[in-house]
Amino acid sequence: MALRVSVGQYYSADSPIHELDPRTKVALTLVYMVSCFFVANPAMLALSGAFVFAAIAASRVPVRLLLRSVRTIMFFLVFTSVFNLFFVQTGQVLLEVGPATFTYDGVWAAALYTLRFLFLLLMGALLMCTTTPIALTDAAEDLLAPLARLGVPVHDAALIMSIALRFVPTLSREAENIVAAQTARGADLENKGPLAYARACVPLVVPLFASALRHAENLGRAMDARCYVGGARRTRFHVMSFVPARDGVAVAGVFLYLAGLAALGTLL
Amino acid sequence: MPRRPSAARIAEQGASGERRATRLVEHGAAASTTDSSDGHRAQAAPVAVFDNVSVTYPDGTEALRGVTATVEAGSYVCVIGGNGSGKSTFAQLFNALIVPTGGSARIFGIDTADENRLLDIRSRAAMVFQHPDDQMVTSIVADDIAFGPENLALPQPEIARRVEESLRAVGLSDLAQADPADLSGGQKQRVAIAGAFALRPDLLILDEPAAMLDVRGRRGIRRVCRELNELGITIVHVTHFMDDVLEADRVLVLNQGRLVLDGAPAEVFSHEHEVRELNLDLPLPLQLCEELEKRGLTVPHLADDDQLAAALAAAAPRARTSPAPDPRSHKAAAVDRSLRAPLDAQAAIEFENVSFSYAAPAAKHRRGLLARLRPRRAPQSPSPSGPWALRNVSFSLKPGTLTALIGHTGAGKSTVIELACALKMPTNGSVRVGGILTTDLERRRELRRAIGYVSQSPERQLFAETVYDDVAFGPRNLHLGEAEVEQRVREALATVRLDLAAIGGRSPFSLSGGQQRGVALAGVLALRPQILVLDEPMAGLDPAGRKRTVELLDRLRSQGTTILLVTHSMDDAAALADSVLVLDHGALALEGTPEEIFSQEEELHRIGLGAPGPTLLADKIRAAGLGLAGMPLTLSALADGVASVLAPRKEGGARGAAR
Repeated sequence: MALRVSVGQYYSADSPIHELDPRTKVALTLVYMVSCFFVANPAMLALSGAFVFAAIAASRVPVRLLLRSVRTIMFFLVFTSVFNLFFVQTGQVLLEVGPATFTYDGVWAAALYTLRFLFLLLMGALLMCTTTPIALTDAAEDLLAPLARLGVPVHDAALIMSIALRFVPTLSREAENIVAAQTARGADLENKGPLAYARACVPLVVPLFASALRHAENLGRAMDARCYVGGARRTRFHVMSFVPARDGVAVAGVFLYLAGLAALGTLL
Repeated sequence: MPRRPSAARIAEQGASGERRATRLVEHGAAASTTDSSDGHRAQAAPVAVFDNVSVTYPDGTEALRGVTATVEAGSYVCVIGGNGSGKSTFAQLFNALIVPTGGSARIFGIDTADENRLLDIRSRAAMVFQHPDDQMVTSIVADDIAFGPENLALPQPEIARRVEESLRAVGLSDLAQADPADLSGGQKQRVAIAGAFALRPDLLILDEPAAMLDVRGRRGIRRVCRELNELGITIVHVTHFMDDVLEADRVLVLNQGRLVLDGAPAEVFSHEHEVRELNLDLPLPLQLCEELEKRGLTVPHLADDDQLAAALAAAAPRARTSPAPDPRSHKAAAVDRSLRAPLDAQAAIEFENVSFSYAAPAAKHRRGLLARLRPRRAPQSPSPSGPWALRNVSFSLKPGTLTALIGHTGAGKSTVIELACALKMPTNGSVRVGGILTTDLERRRELRRAIGYVSQSPERQLFAETVYDDVAFGPRNLHLGEAEVEQRVREALATVRLDLAAIGGRSPFSLSGGQQRGVALAGVLALRPQILVLDEPMAGLDPAGRKRTVELLDRLRSQGTTILLVTHSMDDAAALADSVLVLDHGALALEGTPEEIFSQEEELHRIGLGAPGPTLLADKIRAAGLGLAGMPLTLSALADGVASVLAPRKEGGARGAAR
């Protein structure tokens, strides 16, 4: 169940963000994410923060939920920001504690790196929360379609992605069952040394691996039975359509934001 | 059990019949001489013609040998046979997943060896497999059903229409947007059938679709199959269950790759000795006939329960046919809870006001998979953020008894097991195993020695290079000497009727399914637990395997092992258990002896659970007018009851009833 929370995080709600064409959403999210790296001063930081929180507000996804999904990565971010705090030694000195010196530049760098990365992650999480995994893979497949002409198996990759998402809950439940069964047989999974730990994991990893192979074999057969032929022409159940009144507005919004960001960047 | 469509019904479906006829022409199948004006689908060309088919796998296994058979369009065929009889291989011949290595298979007149025409066959011969989880490609029900039509490159509006129709056909329209992972096994399997139906097949092949399902799930599958058959779809249903077989027009019985019996169900089951020798069960009415014969009675052998009931009533002496009072009305409605020993220190497993929620403390999610097994000593939270998986459950198991735990998917059976085996800690209340609190870390090792846990499909935990090492895993974890370990391995394998010398050095993965399950069971028995918890140990086994497991449980109980058996078979619960616990939506709804439980018909019905087969058959016999006393829970009790009415003098000679 724990794994499920972090992968299948679609949050069902009725909002303009949910309704966007997934391709628009994926493309605009990527544009926003890239724009975050150009944020260089406090005004830009404020604008970029305002934009992501406006998007979250429009999506009706609880902020708490989004923060929870970026929690793990935030740990690393805080770590690197502390790194900045200690190693950026230019600018006005704010505080000296023993050997450590905190400068204005250090504090700014720590805040900038952490916040702009947080915004980027939040936007990514928002995409995941407002788009079903199927819509995401469909969108990725469509956006990457030009690559298919170069011989990249875009469609197969998208299908593999969809199947992988589908099997996350199945495999995680099986993993829990195997852990339970082997624990009941006295497997000690709380050894300290890495070697002992690796050995203790054999009774878990081998059955899980066998189970993954069994699923793969059965699934392959079932897909054959359902007339799947790799590389053949297929149609799609979900039709994606770019609606100007809906997707056009979103695109315009993002371009306005980019223009504002550029203006603040050159003015200040 | 009339399952033939009435004339009106056929007229109703005339439209779809016409569409199908045009479809046949579209496909240009060589032998499509459908005469739709006649309206009789039996006139159509055979769906499948097998001529002396043999299949030998690359590893040399001969799965099928010289099978010759023809399946007519519109028929409903059941395929039965023990494990390893070649049923699964046979089923896959129908949609060219397997191509004969000898002889020929023609489906819709197309030779399956012609690789260019595979899609012509598969788009018309859809298949549903045993494991629902392994047939779904996406995380949304409707999208999964669309997979087949998408592969056929149908236009989008047609796909949408078919998805909707298919969902309706299996009665799952409400769950179109659900995640398959959240559905019960029976629902998942119906999604798989809908996915197959979306191809608009002429033939639907089902390979043990209900092997892992409870009675309700199985009944759902059977109903859907019958409805699809009435639409004109030919059904080929591979099954272990004889009640499925009685639905069919025709039964094919396979044994060791050969087709040994072929005919209408009644005809096939009239070869009782052959069927027995093939390790297959007879339908319950025929089993009753056999039991009555053992008691010196001559009765007509009828596979249909209604017919048999009528025949038995007709054979009864006049005075005996007056309807006897229904025994159930005399039963006390309330379960006598005083039978439960309060706070019995000697109880094998004791739950005291146990509640559990998976969502409980938020802190739990932050921990890893392994860390979650550590007991929490944190103060118990009175109200979790999520729904309760168990609410205020109290019971205790007497040592040396067998308790059956029954209830629906999601009723909390698995949670009870996890709590009893100290794999999860109660949110509220306490669980004791052999007097030890499951939260007591210091005595955890002692607790683990006392209780053994056989998970569902236990063969999936096999991991070692040899059978010996796998069974020895538990004893070695107890740090026993190697001589003791070997002794235990030998003994545990012997208990499950396997021979250490014969298979000890083999890889567990090279064994047959039944043997793998035996090895997995031995791996738990080698710990010599005083308490054994088993989760659906009979699921997916053929009749012979089920019989072996029942014998094993009986033997273990007679040796003094306390057993907690989770099962979805009311027959097993009635025949095996000393006491029964019924869970409903996380609460303990009923507890008592099988007689007490199964006399509460209305309550069971409300929960959605049925009665054991013999009890239901007894009801039919009583309804037919035979004054049957008591409420027989087992076949032998039923036979005794019937025998005492039909030939009262012979009662003394009858074998003692099990209960």
